[in-house]
Amino acid sequence: MKNRLKVLRAERDWSQQDLAEQLGVSRQSVNAIETGRYDPSLPLAFRIAGLFALPIEQIFEPEEDVAGRD
Amino acid sequence: MSAPVGNGVLGRGPFFWAGMALMTMGVIVALGMTGAVEQKPLLLLMLLVPLSLMVPLFVAASRRADASGQGCGKGAAQARYIRRVILFAELYLIAVAAMTYFTKTVETQGVVRVVLALLPGFAIVGVLWAIGRLIVEESDEFMRMLVIRQTLVATAVALCGASIWGFLEAADIVPHLDAYWVVVAWFAGLGAGAVANRIQFGAWGAV
Repeated sequence: MKNRLKVLRAERDWSQQDLAEQLGVSRQSVNAIETGRYDPSLPLAFRIAGLFALPIEQIFEPEEDVAGRD
Repeated sequence: MSAPVGNGVLGRGPFFWAGMALMTMGVIVALGMTGAVEQKPLLLLMLLVPLSLMVPLFVAASRRADASGQGCGKGAAQARYIRRVILFAELYLIAVAAMTYFTKTVETQGVVRVVLALLPGFAIVGVLWAIGRLIVEESDEFMRMLVIRQTLVATAVALCGASIWGFLEAADIVPHLDAYWVVVAWFAGLGAGAVANRIQFGAWGAV
């Protein structure tokens, strides 16, 4: 899954550690999500969306092959 | 980036101590396998060296977890895990020392012999329990996934190793190994799982 987490974080001038602390997760988690190595659970995705005050689909979007199945 | 002051033990991080523990463990296994050391009590006593190296390993890991936690919740479950592992590792050292001493110096029989033989195993069960509690208590879903992956890799390594070794042993191709070596293989598998995590997800998981 692709995401705009790094851009959104940079817009607010937050470090990965800053974001991790606000989400209550490790910096490694933020890094793994940002780099697309790990897709967060739905509850964590909602926490991220709530923090940035954006709908989930404006932060995360499925890869093209997954989106094309519908 | 260089390690911050106070991160590690004697200026060395957890991976140095893990490497030392694995290296000494490998030497002991080689000594046992080649017959260079045939007495089991001596081999068990020699295991105290890699197990003692687990103490600086876990202290260094604890310091690193504390340093990187910084209130975001990352270090809490892992710090408890490390404290528990240190406790059970120390109990194991004491249990093995007691078992070896009493079986070598005193004619132990009956219940005493059974209890002495059970104590080291129970200490290892304590370490396994600590890993289970880490999975339960880790609130960071990514870190929890890494630990679960590690345990799956460890289980695969231990079961595959036990299966292959068992049949080789039945065919008189390899010497007999006591069953607790399965646990040693499992712990080695945890290390392999950490490496697999690092390659796939960029983070090691639990030490």
